[in-house]
Amino acid sequence: MSTTMDAAPAVPAAGGSSEMARPSVMRRIMRDKVAGGAALLLTIVVVAALFAEWVAPYDPYAINLLNVMAPPGGEHLLGTDSNGRDILSRLIYGARNTLMLGLVGVIFGGFFGGVLGILAAFYKRLDGWIMRLVDVLLAFPAILIGLSVAAIAGAGLTSVLIALVVATVPDVARVARGAAIGVMEQEFIEAGRALGVSDFTLIWRYLTLNCISTIFVFLTLRFGQIILIGSALSFLGMGAQPPTAELGMMAAQGRDFLFMAPHIATIPSLAIFVIVLCANLLGDAIRDVLDPRLQQ
Amino acid sequence: MGRQIIQRLIISFPALIGVLFLCFVMMQVAPADPAAIIAGPDARQETIDAIRLDLGLDRPILVQFIEYIGRVIQGDLGRSIISNKAVSEELAQTIGPTLELMIGGLAMAIPLGILLGTLAAVKRGTLVDRAIMAVSVAGVSMPIFFIGLVLIQYVGFKWNLLPFTGRNGPFWDGGLSSMVLPALTLGSVLIGPIARLTRTAVLEVLGADFVRTARAKGLRESTVIVGHALRNALIPVVTLIGLQAAYLLGGAVVTETMFSWPGVGRLAVGAIISSDFPTAQGAIMILALAFLLINLIVDVLYVYLDPRMQR
Repeated sequence: MSTTMDAAPAVPAAGGSSEMARPSVMRRIMRDKVAGGAALLLTIVVVAALFAEWVAPYDPYAINLLNVMAPPGGEHLLGTDSNGRDILSRLIYGARNTLMLGLVGVIFGGFFGGVLGILAAFYKRLDGWIMRLVDVLLAFPAILIGLSVAAIAGAGLTSVLIALVVATVPDVARVARGAAIGVMEQEFIEAGRALGVSDFTLIWRYLTLNCISTIFVFLTLRFGQIILIGSALSFLGMGAQPPTAELGMMAAQGRDFLFMAPHIATIPSLAIFVIVLCANLLGDAIRDVLDPRLQQ
Repeated sequence: MGRQIIQRLIISFPALIGVLFLCFVMMQVAPADPAAIIAGPDARQETIDAIRLDLGLDRPILVQFIEYIGRVIQGDLGRSIISNKAVSEELAQTIGPTLELMIGGLAMAIPLGILLGTLAAVKRGTLVDRAIMAVSVAGVSMPIFFIGLVLIQYVGFKWNLLPFTGRNGPFWDGGLSSMVLPALTLGSVLIGPIARLTRTAVLEVLGADFVRTARAKGLRESTVIVGHALRNALIPVVTLIGLQAAYLLGGAVVTETMFSWPGVGRLAVGAIISSDFPTAQGAIMILALAFLLINLIVDVLYVYLDPRMQR
């Protein structure tokens, strides 16, 4: 195996050229002021969510029935909810769960979708079957997948996670297949085959490494959408269950008190908006730098 | 054109079978045993077995699936565990309002999106253009329930302009006012993407030779933009609406739940929360079929709008 790897010729195309360009990629993204701002804001949110235990001013689950629905300002910066819990602290913990929805969707959906798409491009006899499966999955919009999983497995964060992964797979599979078919037409694949390189090496070193940037760009563009779908499912009661803090569910809980204390529902909704907006702006900038062809 | 439609129908057949199969599998893996549910909580094992035999649950899975398709075609989707009404009856009552809401949402989004997109293209590079594009990026990033919450809070509650719960009958019969806020909420998801794409498409067409010719002929600018540029720019917009059908459907589920709109989405959510499995399954199936149908309609429209497809 290792001898085959060593004997394999250096794979040209994306690998070589983008490594040369890599030091400037970050700088090129940051040159765009909007994208830079979005990246900064998103970093702050991610860091706060990661270190929620230290950052959050109060216990997000501590109920105080003597101080319910306090408006923003004063002792509680963003006010308290219907149980007197500090909204800012719940927001920080909630952002952690909401970001996790997006990340798990992107990572696992990207992995399974990528594998399916690349295998479909590499093995022609699998292509028809895989793409038919993808078509059937595409016939189920994400929110219906979420409802179905919740119907079978019960509502909960896990159900939403499963749904988001399943909903991401077919889209990624299509993109990965498209990218991989383009790479398959390159001469170095044929050269590798002629040299007797194993299928595994061909798929991994020749094919996957050459379409990974396309898949990556697509996933950064999907991240915000996945968060939106996940929080919509949570809002519908299919996701995280109380008292867990999750932004979509917090908005749903606040809905019952909309006329008395609108901030309980508005603040988490606004937080989702900011996270998704930053992710989308950053995704657009990354696409423009890494893969301008995707721009349509 | 007829041939294209038939071809398209054939293509969507595997997806249709797939949707039915997934719904069927959902029922198989569900925690509840249908025979035990029908028999009731105190039933003896023999009774449950007898019902099992009666329902054909002992037969091979493929045979059961074919029988299931047969029942679906006959409109037999079982009975709701909660209301004991036939699921098909519940669906028949809710599908109308859902379609009405979707059409209402599109009726809000399409003209507004096209108007904003065209405006941005014509005023390219100006502040108007940048403002419209910023709003459309923001719109794509907005959770749909946020828009709904704001509309309910201000337009519905504070300013008391429009009703925000339930549906006061069909829109042609006194229900129009109750439809405005839900339709606006649902449509808002689509305004941004439509505006963005219209802008790109109009800009592309504005540079085309036939537009230059139209201008050279001395046509008025408004005629050039509406009659020549916009008309040709509509083709990608129609495709986009097909691609966005998933968001339209997902948005409908959220919107119906928020505005207590008596549609299929709200029925599905309520059924899942109350573990009413037959209803949930029927509602999900109808929504998935509706999704297939929307895509089909869009493809047919596409052929109709773009004569190049009619070869």
